[in-house]
Amino acid sequence: MTASRFGSSGDGFGDAPRACSAGSGAFADYEVQERFYDELFRPDGTVREACRQLVASLSAATPEELSTLQEGVARRFIHEGITFTVLGATKMSEHIIPIDCVPRVLTAAEWDHIDRGLRQRLTAMNLFLRDIYNEGRSLRDGIVPADLVLGCPQYRVEMRGVKVPHDVYVAVCGTDIVRTNEGFAVLEDNLRVPSGVSYMLACRAAIKQAFPRLYRAQGVQEIAQYPESLYATLTSLGSWSGDPRVAVLTPGHYNSAYYEHAFLAGEMGAELVEGRDLVVHDAVVYVRTVSGLKRIDVIYRRVDDDFLDPVVFREDSLLGVPGLFNAYRTGNVVIANAPGTGVADDKALYSYVPRIIRYFLDEDPILANVETHLCRESDGLAYTLANLENLVVKEVGGSGGYGMMVGPHSTASEREAYADRLRADPTNFISQPVLDLSRAGCFVDGRLEPRHVDVRPFVLRGRDDIRIAPGGLCRVALRKGGLVVNSSQGGGCKDLWILRDQHPRDAPEM
Amino acid sequence: MLARAAADFYWMGRYLERTEQTARLLEYQLERLVDTPAEEVALGWRVLYKTFGHPAPPLPNDADEAEVFLIADAYTLAGTFVEDDTNSNSMISCWSLARENAKQLRPWLPVRVWTCFNQGFMWIRDCDFSRAWAEGPAALALEAIDWLRLLAGVVDAMMARDDAWRFLELGRFVERLQHQTVLLDTWARLGQPGEGPRLSWSDLLRVSRAYELYRRRRSILVRRESALAFLVRNPEVPRSLRFAVHRIERLLSGIDPKGARYPLAAPHRLAIRLAATVEMELGGDDPDPEGEDGSFSDLLRDARKLHDLVMASYVNYPVERGLPA
Repeated sequence: MTASRFGSSGDGFGDAPRACSAGSGAFADYEVQERFYDELFRPDGTVREACRQLVASLSAATPEELSTLQEGVARRFIHEGITFTVLGATKMSEHIIPIDCVPRVLTAAEWDHIDRGLRQRLTAMNLFLRDIYNEGRSLRDGIVPADLVLGCPQYRVEMRGVKVPHDVYVAVCGTDIVRTNEGFAVLEDNLRVPSGVSYMLACRAAIKQAFPRLYRAQGVQEIAQYPESLYATLTSLGSWSGDPRVAVLTPGHYNSAYYEHAFLAGEMGAELVEGRDLVVHDAVVYVRTVSGLKRIDVIYRRVDDDFLDPVVFREDSLLGVPGLFNAYRTGNVVIANAPGTGVADDKALYSYVPRIIRYFLDEDPILANVETHLCRESDGLAYTLANLENLVVKEVGGSGGYGMMVGPHSTASEREAYADRLRADPTNFISQPVLDLSRAGCFVDGRLEPRHVDVRPFVLRGRDDIRIAPGGLCRVALRKGGLVVNSSQGGGCKDLWILRDQHPRDAPEM
Repeated sequence: MLARAAADFYWMGRYLERTEQTARLLEYQLERLVDTPAEEVALGWRVLYKTFGHPAPPLPNDADEAEVFLIADAYTLAGTFVEDDTNSNSMISCWSLARENAKQLRPWLPVRVWTCFNQGFMWIRDCDFSRAWAEGPAALALEAIDWLRLLAGVVDAMMARDDAWRFLELGRFVERLQHQTVLLDTWARLGQPGEGPRLSWSDLLRVSRAYELYRRRRSILVRRESALAFLVRNPEVPRSLRFAVHRIERLLSGIDPKGARYPLAAPHRLAIRLAATVEMELGGDDPDPEGEDGSFSDLLRDARKLHDLVMASYVNYPVERGLPA
């Protein structure tokens, strides 16, 4: 291999695959363990079919070349300021999202399974939300305990009977999917303001440039159309005589996902607004421009329900817009996602999703759930308390990896303290077994090693269709042995390649 | 254009211009350290502080004290304007503030503009001032100016001439008008003939990047009145008051095309009046800051008022005024 491998003439990746396996060449330190599904290698160490070209290319590179590649993609993130903000004890700090240069690869067939499962799940969840804010059949029929829904802080009584455009409560969904030796499973649904899609797109832009020839040779499905799909989805939810004016409502640049809000607004050609930029007059929403107030038709809100409208929700909110909810219920503005969707992604309700799918669609769930114990139930609490060292315990309304306890990584005193919290407020917790998350190859500390990953695909529900970008935010726990993939907890991201064909093109036998 | 974004572009323009002004004055001052009499260098520090509205460091009593004062304190004084984040006019403060604005403007900024901006910010954030000083006191100021020129070039090449660009440029030229007015006023006051150290008029032209043109158009011999008049009304010097005020007037015409006809919007009216003032009242050969009309003081007051009017007209207007008819 020559230095020109990384030059403008091409990366050299995409050359004919050569024989390689885990434990050899660049993968000398790569350990495949049967317990964890490995995304690159079979348990016997041979390369998975879809990853042959990738593994061959990586094997042919020297550690120095891989370092150069890794530094290149990381530098791109730094220069472009692809960041997230972490709330510390005393101040906010801005961090660059760690990116790993090795893409994860899924076949078209694997993706098709996920795609169908996501469509099914989102369809069911929208029907469920429509139901609980109107007739409540599913509650009366005991599909989901009524008190679980009606007692959930995210259930918004203000949404009772509100006519939601085309019954699309959740227009944008990000579902966390993990893979174990048993297959794919949904870890959690994010139906409020799911974030991460900008990192997915940024990862792709960086990795595409890093592996131009391999990317082309592998026949990777494109995801660049996501902003256009998002715009089409949002504007499909209303009827307009001209071009509707779309705004992305952000809490402001101190929010952890501000980069994403700005990115999406820029890509869609939408206004990026804060609450203070909007005014409601006669139940119509306007934005302050330099030439007066202009009407806003669609708001893609990235502000939690609580802060949307101080007249209706938290009255101390400075992030929202007084009168916004009234404009919404009057039908003068579309808000996506609708207020009140958080009730459906509560971690306690998660365990009922398979029943919800069966009830509303009369189908078996395509994607499995992870076994979940509800501490609100006495059996679930007892089991959780008895097995704390083997379980992951989460707050039902938590997110970002905050407030959870990973049993095997905890100390006895931490478990004791957590048990006290469980006993004090059991309804606030669920527990799940520690999953053997699949592992994908990462370039860490100058060598290729496996790390645990999950993936968050993004699903868009418009008036007439569901669109799913063939890819997702692949999150990776960069700490060796770590299971928490959240960026706020030391996780990073990597590109996810969904191949067009079931088998990569032109892949000679190894 | 979103009013808040317009304000952010405007402030970003102001902070970037201020960074460059700081860098330019520092470069001038630090290059003089080598061969200028110590008392004059001390006076230069005073100008720098006064221009940015800081209390000036005390002047030394005599030449010997000045020598000691300068050698000991030039590094500290320069540091105040480079890396002191408690000084709102230091280069790091201005760049940080501009970046805060830019962060909020990412949907409007071409990626290359943001990337260039961010790289420049990281350069100044990570630069080691003491090491840069060891390489040559003025080197850091010169490099900062290079970064700013690069950014200006990328902005020029990448940004559409829409309201975003207009507000960015408006901020730059309002800042420039205010700063140059203060600079001329300070120089005119401290450059009066008399005993003790004096400021050089050719230095004023150099700081204003107008010396070469002056030499070609006028003379190698620089007279006070002529230099002041040159920097007030010459339309070819980017740092003349006339150049700045005409740019402001043209930018406001673009921002408010209705106002560019009639009735004129308030900021536009004031800009036209400022242009007339610069051309007619200050246009003579001897603009006198000590004159009865207090020319530069009045101009500075109006330039500040212009800022207030821009904010009141385009950003903070009352809701009822903004509602569609």
